[in-house]
Amino acid sequence: MNGARDIAIVGIGVTAQSRGSGRSAISLLMESIGLALDDAGLSMRDVDGYIGFTFPAGNGQGMSDGNVARQFGQPMTLVAETSGAQAVLLAGAAIRAGLAEVVVIPAGGSQSPGIEMATYTRPTYEFTEWTGSMTPAQFALIARRHMHEFGTTSEQLAAVAAAAHRHGRLNPEAVAFGRPPLDADTILAARMIADPFTQPMCSLVNDGASCIVVTSAERARDCRNAPVWLLGGAFETRSNSYFEAPSLGMMESRPRMIDGFARAGVVHDDVDIVMCYDHFAHGPIIQFETLGFCAPGEGGDYVPMAMQVDGAHPGSLDGGNLAYSHNGVPYNFKPIEIVRQFRGDTPDLCPGWREGIHTYDRNLCRKVRDPRLAIGCAPMTDGRHGFAILAKD
Amino acid sequence: MDAHFLAPQPTPLSAPFWEGTRTGELRLQQCDDCGGWRWTPQILCTHCYSPHFGWEAASGRGKIYSFTTVHRPPVPTFIAPYVVAVVELDEGPLMLTRIVDVSPETVAIDMRVKVKLTPLDETITLYPFTAD
Repeated sequence: MNGARDIAIVGIGVTAQSRGSGRSAISLLMESIGLALDDAGLSMRDVDGYIGFTFPAGNGQGMSDGNVARQFGQPMTLVAETSGAQAVLLAGAAIRAGLAEVVVIPAGGSQSPGIEMATYTRPTYEFTEWTGSMTPAQFALIARRHMHEFGTTSEQLAAVAAAAHRHGRLNPEAVAFGRPPLDADTILAARMIADPFTQPMCSLVNDGASCIVVTSAERARDCRNAPVWLLGGAFETRSNSYFEAPSLGMMESRPRMIDGFARAGVVHDDVDIVMCYDHFAHGPIIQFETLGFCAPGEGGDYVPMAMQVDGAHPGSLDGGNLAYSHNGVPYNFKPIEIVRQFRGDTPDLCPGWREGIHTYDRNLCRKVRDPRLAIGCAPMTDGRHGFAILAKD
Repeated sequence: MDAHFLAPQPTPLSAPFWEGTRTGELRLQQCDDCGGWRWTPQILCTHCYSPHFGWEAASGRGKIYSFTTVHRPPVPTFIAPYVVAVVELDEGPLMLTRIVDVSPETVAIDMRVKVKLTPLDETITLYPFTAD
């Protein structure tokens, strides 16, 4: 990855994100694939790569790579298991190596009773389950340690959550759209889930799916929408979330993350949008620090302002996992929101948003002014941590 | 420990650990070659990759690395509030556990703690920690 504009996101697809859809994960995933391919001006017939945590298994034959090919009715030359920013990076590497040409990255799930559960967030493990730590407590342990080492406060966590909820209240597609507004004080006073997290500092639980289509610059020329270029990024997995004791270990990846910017020829100050992984309110704070946007310990002061839509590095622009959607695998939404911001396809309260007319009145509008360079982040855990750098022409 | 949940299911790798808690020891794997301790149970030494190890009695003591008081449990059978913690064992590894017999308001990072082995049933003895 050297900043070359040879790999692009050419399609995105998002199903309705909602609670209690009554639909299976697989039907949502297949719908998202169709939407993303249509957005790209491609069809199922063009696909030769599939990257996702969930494989099509609606025929009862299980989640195997062979069954992916069977569902597509044609050979797959790349099938791999990851999601979001990491999947975009992997797709880019595979396409560059000639292993595939058109890669779909579907993700999502259904929490509807009796349908399916995102069971990986609640694994049965002999040394975890008895502690009663699933799932907010797992991340509360990380947040509490950050507060101890760096002086981060509950007020700062609430301010991060307030920014995400403010953006989400402007997004008619958000699961929390239409709910009462939440300011930092209200968030602090809300029901405690696992100290220091109150309920609005925790992810939603809902249904829905999304899909990203990645291809080569050559194929991108024939696609329906302008390409969004993959300039590079970095990724690290250090440990096994939900199985090992949570810690601040991921912050040790800071040099590798900063090197990812250097290899892509990108400097932090030029990044217009930073879509952090906001699974809990501490996420953006630690991620800004670990990616090098500020020093370790400065995030609590810096991030609540920086991530606002007119801030230095706006993020959680769709409402994030806290207010837009956590459908079990919401990783794709970070790159997808970047693509939508680049295109001006940001549903909000502006009367003319469908025609691309944005008011930039922050009581109505969540569109960033003229973004050209952005990063979309992977989950901010010891299990998966990293980012992809995306740019428009 | 009044909570009810699916009892831990030992594996061939972890069985000596559970045998230890049942007989009064908090055991960890210790590498025969480099002497390094590790937790959770793993096939190879996480320091030197040696496959040779023994299950040795650890001190059962450490200090709190982080903690949280859970007010809304993952399933209703856990009785909230309760304290989940990561303990930095004196041998080095971090261990996810519970803190018991201590008022949640008095739990603090760096607080010294020791294991309090607590039978769940005839085969499983849990290993929450309490103030040392």
